[in-house]
Amino acid sequence: MMPVGEQRWEMLERIGAYAAGELEGEEAREVEQLIFERPDYRRLAESYARMLVMLTTLGNEPVEAPEAVINYAVRRAYVSAFMRSAEDFIGAIGRSYLNAFVYYLGLRRESYEGGT
Amino acid sequence: MSSAQGRASDQALAIRASRGDVEAFRQLVQEHSGLVYRVALRILGMNDAQDASQEVWVRVWRNIKNFRGDSAFSTWLYRITVNTCLSVRRKESRRSEKEYGGDEMPFLPEPPGGDADPEAAALSAERRVEIQAALGHVRAEHRAALVLRHMEGLSYAEIAQVLDVPDGTAKGWVSRGRAAMLVALVEEDNRRAEGTAG
Repeated sequence: MMPVGEQRWEMLERIGAYAAGELEGEEAREVEQLIFERPDYRRLAESYARMLVMLTTLGNEPVEAPEAVINYAVRRAYVSAFMRSAEDFIGAIGRSYLNAFVYYLGLRRESYEGGT
Repeated sequence: MSSAQGRASDQALAIRASRGDVEAFRQLVQEHSGLVYRVALRILGMNDAQDASQEVWVRVWRNIKNFRGDSAFSTWLYRITVNTCLSVRRKESRRSEKEYGGDEMPFLPEPPGGDADPEAAALSAERRVEIQAALGHVRAEHRAALVLRHMEGLSYAEIAQVLDVPDGTAKGWVSRGRAAMLVALVEEDNRRAEGTAG
């Protein structure tokens, strides 16, 4: 047998689902019947309806992010992009120097102009 | 701009940003910073929302190459935002849900002014504080699901995608979050009523 607390919690969730319009068919009719018969369930359904209006209303309010968030995000991206470019640039120079050095030492027969 | 056009524009900006185009990234930040901050605010509260939003955008820039365009950019962004918020609240998520131990079913009284203007009553400063405080008593995953469903208006399929869980789990989390939220809200309301009376 289900403990009383669990039963009550299950009913709490079922009526919540009904108030949110998420029950259909037989299940919805069962809950409607319970709400009709029991004033405490009716009050619970009304409470849910009030809470859902509050959440939706608050959710529909426009919220703007602080300028600091936008500035920080963009600044970080610029710095990161600059570092990437700098890394690529330094990497390319390093590779060129290495190629030149290898060619200078005669360790590779390739022409430095790219021919063979 | 229609949602399809907006989606195509976001995809194009994301592709440019993934190639290192900071200007495209800046446009994405401008366009979606409200979404990120709003969700962080609802899940974490005022104190942590700004830091979390900044962290979200750092993660977006770092991972934008992984955005494949299989889903809308906003869904991908929701996922990073919620994951960031949940990682901030990882310790808290182990906290047990607000239990309901009362003999009677919880009851949230009608706001002063009655049904004549429910929205105005719902948006009063006191109510806002109560809602935010009550959200803080809901387990982090359930809170995220509740926020996505009832404040962001996402479908269960979208919530499941954002939270990376099966549809049934998303539905269960919303349901538990909704019940826990009501219990917490009633307690907040009772506390306020006692404070006013005392």
